[in-house]
Amino acid sequence: MIFVLRMALRETRAAWRRLLFFFVCIAVGVASIVALRSVIQSVRAVFGSEARSLVAADVLIATNRDWSRETRDTIDRRLALYGALAQTETAETVTMVRPDDRRPVARMVELRAVQPAFPLYGELTLDGGQKYSHALLENHGVLVRPELLTALDVKVGDKILIGTSTFTIRGVIANEPGRRVGGFTLGPRVLVDFADLPSTGLLGLGSRLRRVLLVRVPDDRIDPLVDALHNDFKDEFVSARSYRGSDDEIGRDFDRAENYLSLVGLVIVILGGIAVSSVTRVFVLQKMRSIAVLKCVGARSAQIIGVYVLQVVALGLAGSLLGVALARGAIALIPYAIGPGTSLLADVHYGVTWSAAGQGIAVGVLVSLLFSVVPLLHVRLVKPSMLLRDEAAPRRIDWARIVAMVVVSAALVAVTAWQAASLKAALVVCAGFCGVAVALLGAGQLLVRAVAPLARTKFFPLRHAVLHLSRPGNQTRVILLAVGLGAFFIIGVRSLQASLLDEFSLQSSSDAPDMFLLDVQRQQTDGVRRFLEDPAHGAGAYQLIPVMRARITGVNGRETTMESYEDVRARGSLAREYEVTYRDHLEPNEKIVEGAFWHGPSPEPEISVEKDLHERFKINVGDTVRFDILGRVVSARVTSIREIDWRDSRSGGFVFVFRPGVLDNAPQTFISPLRGPDRIEARARFQHDLVEQFPNVSVIDFREILENVRDVMSKVTLAITVVGGLVLASGILILIGAVAMTKFQRVYEAAVFKTLGAGTRAIAAMLLCEYTVLGVLAGTVGSIGAVALTWAVSRYALDMPWRFFPGEHLGGIVATAVLVALIGVLSSLDVLRNKPLLTLRAE
Amino acid sequence: MIELRGVSKTVVSGSEPLTILHPLTATIPEGRFVAIVGPSGSGKSTLLGLIAGLDSPTSGAVVIDGVDITALDEDGLARLRGEKIGFVFQFFHLIPSLTAYENVAVPMEIAGAHDVAARARALLEEVGLTGRAHHYPSQLSGGEQQRVALARALANNPPIVLADEPTGNLDTANGRLIMEMLRRVHAARGTTLVLVTHDAELAAMADATIVLRDGRVVEGV
Repeated sequence: MIFVLRMALRETRAAWRRLLFFFVCIAVGVASIVALRSVIQSVRAVFGSEARSLVAADVLIATNRDWSRETRDTIDRRLALYGALAQTETAETVTMVRPDDRRPVARMVELRAVQPAFPLYGELTLDGGQKYSHALLENHGVLVRPELLTALDVKVGDKILIGTSTFTIRGVIANEPGRRVGGFTLGPRVLVDFADLPSTGLLGLGSRLRRVLLVRVPDDRIDPLVDALHNDFKDEFVSARSYRGSDDEIGRDFDRAENYLSLVGLVIVILGGIAVSSVTRVFVLQKMRSIAVLKCVGARSAQIIGVYVLQVVALGLAGSLLGVALARGAIALIPYAIGPGTSLLADVHYGVTWSAAGQGIAVGVLVSLLFSVVPLLHVRLVKPSMLLRDEAAPRRIDWARIVAMVVVSAALVAVTAWQAASLKAALVVCAGFCGVAVALLGAGQLLVRAVAPLARTKFFPLRHAVLHLSRPGNQTRVILLAVGLGAFFIIGVRSLQASLLDEFSLQSSSDAPDMFLLDVQRQQTDGVRRFLEDPAHGAGAYQLIPVMRARITGVNGRETTMESYEDVRARGSLAREYEVTYRDHLEPNEKIVEGAFWHGPSPEPEISVEKDLHERFKINVGDTVRFDILGRVVSARVTSIREIDWRDSRSGGFVFVFRPGVLDNAPQTFISPLRGPDRIEARARFQHDLVEQFPNVSVIDFREILENVRDVMSKVTLAITVVGGLVLASGILILIGAVAMTKFQRVYEAAVFKTLGAGTRAIAAMLLCEYTVLGVLAGTVGSIGAVALTWAVSRYALDMPWRFFPGEHLGGIVATAVLVALIGVLSSLDVLRNKPLLTLRAE
Repeated sequence: MIELRGVSKTVVSGSEPLTILHPLTATIPEGRFVAIVGPSGSGKSTLLGLIAGLDSPTSGAVVIDGVDITALDEDGLARLRGEKIGFVFQFFHLIPSLTAYENVAVPMEIAGAHDVAARARALLEEVGLTGRAHHYPSQLSGGEQQRVALARALANNPPIVLADEPTGNLDTANGRLIMEMLRRVHAARGTTLVLVTHDAELAAMADATIVLRDGRVVEGV
């Protein structure tokens, strides 16, 4: 044991510089795991401790309709029975807000009306240290988010119009209980007094009001109360949930995020592992003579393997500790990246958690060990007789090696399963990784074969560069895999981003609608029509489409039968609220794929169903679907299935379309897709003037949304590019390491070439050619992978046509080639510098 | 005592079997100095490798102190070498990543010996390299490297020392020095010394000589 320990120390002392790059790869991967896990755990700790204040209550009871008397009676009875300690009601909707001074601006906001008891938990904080009290809202006071002040160019004390009523801004909201952090919003939050809501005129028919009862009950009564309410309202559109439900949901989200994100880190560690495997292989090859000497002086194979295993563990541990230090540094920068703020994210105490550090170190050491075991087994085959005579080892099937490979693969799946907390995910990731690796290696091999004819070229440097790609002990495969994988990530993500942006700009181009009016009342349609047709307002083509909100409460069909709303609920998204319309024509983006579309009105209810829903829920032509449309029950027969081109869906994106004749006189509102004015000021004035005339109407500006989408996408792209960058960085490190490891061969060859008359310039050209060819191959391999990735994601995940961006691919290949050539040549400088005689003597 | 009982070695060269040592029977008594001589390719080094258990014979048996080493596995052979045999190579074969001192200490550490440091220092002193103990092989001359290799071969005080053309890669002065040291060890410790050499002058110093040609004994035994 002392021998093993001492030898491991001595070998590490001699080889650590050469091995350093590879353990930096492990460090980068471990740093990713530790940083991602730590950040999510830190954020989670805050969310967990504030779950109750996040939903602002113990129990939430919500509906999208007005409370009926029976519903409220049932709820009140239940609350009394379960000893509710407090309750308060809020109402939420989206609406337009504009300043009271006739300036032509308007902004969509998320309005929340609250009663004096709000919030039951947590604290509503205001900017500038102002204390919140409900008195601030009474008599048409309003609290707003700072974004609204900027958007409308108003300040505290100014007046704004909400619907038909004027409100005074009395404070600025910093943090509000019951608002999910980072969720998608249609506009900044605006808080008003519940008692002032009727004066806004927003309670009209079809308004998108969500009413929520916030309840405080003793801890042990929470779950029974929620269960009882679920039971009471199983056939009604009232939902009840506890803060625990939301805590569990948030917890599950966090678990999933933590586990899946750490898999990204694991992939980087595994790349490092591949580097370890490769370095160990070359290392053992270089150490063959020393191993033979050790055997000659009495060392057993197990002892020698022990020496190298200990060395790998020590370096893996060192790499992992370096990774933890890197993660610590990265995490320390987070508060600076977020900037000062009052959101929940700013309250998080960011630091490396013990569990994340432990997991990172364990993964780093395990992966190092697992990847080095198989190449280390070669030590057994080294014969001391090689010291007397060079003799090729007989080729035999090495069963121990095969068994070791199987065990190591199983162990890697186990490590992945541990990290993902799911065996299924582990199998998918490992299979995916193997698939990508095999594909990249296969593509690499084909490319190496494709350039093989260049070995016959008369240009000496290129000839030797190509020959070097397949020399014994070459690192071509590992470099192609590592660098190719990095290029694959980056080119793939950039192409996807370009593709998505293209898709969106396609939708926003030409004369396609770019504005959307919501909640136009029936009696307002003539006025709105006049407004839109008035050239002074600058609007283009428009449509006024009647809509009703409906829920499916039953299906009676060939393949699907659902008796009650409870049955529908069990089918998940089918139970959601749908916007339905009626018309006697197909829109340009629709076509009938089954059945026949009607002509003219009919007193018999008929519907046309969208194709995806038909396929998903097996609702067929001839089936009957029962709807609850604002309390009215309508059973409609399915007479056709429509396919909708969702890329152009703003005039015809309805899943259910009714035949005219049944719903024409039902309570309904209208929506209007339209082409808004082109100039920004004209758009602002248009929105303002419209809302001034029709205060209850909301305007969605797609251009703004597109800007938001671009913004979100650029952030997502940045995040994925960072990950791709990390993978590429690992690839580059592996490249540097691979060059360093095979340098001994090059130094010797260069010495022989120099003796034979090759100048430094010729040898430099040879190196440059070799690494450029390698870089081009790696870039091409990545590019091919990226083509496959973008095609699959476009086709299956985003459901949009696949586009090819030659610029991205070409740029990626050139950038990879330049990078690889530069690093390859720079890391080989001493090959050029060494004097040939010294080298040859040393051999 | 070393007994060679009909030992032969055949290797496959290309697709043809090539006998590099024809069956040979010989006995080398304990404490003797035997030289194996012959031209290049005559099978001298192969014979020495078979005695050291570095290689296994195609037929026959090598018996050392009554133990048939051809029956031992790789680890058994390694243990035997660690205990009983010191080997000096023509090309030194020091471990390049270890210092002179460490190269000498390694066999003792493998054998789990005590006072390794003191013994390694004493051995280096014996070969006149006290001042070079912490130098790496690349920092030593050929003669110095061979002296380290000799000290390493003597580390576990083996009863048998096998030397494969130990002066073949050295200048005359250094060659003479190494030979002198080998003879001194043989005389002082009563070590069995088997020396492979081209040099008739060196062979003349031995108690007995085995002359090989084309893998066959033509004289001696």
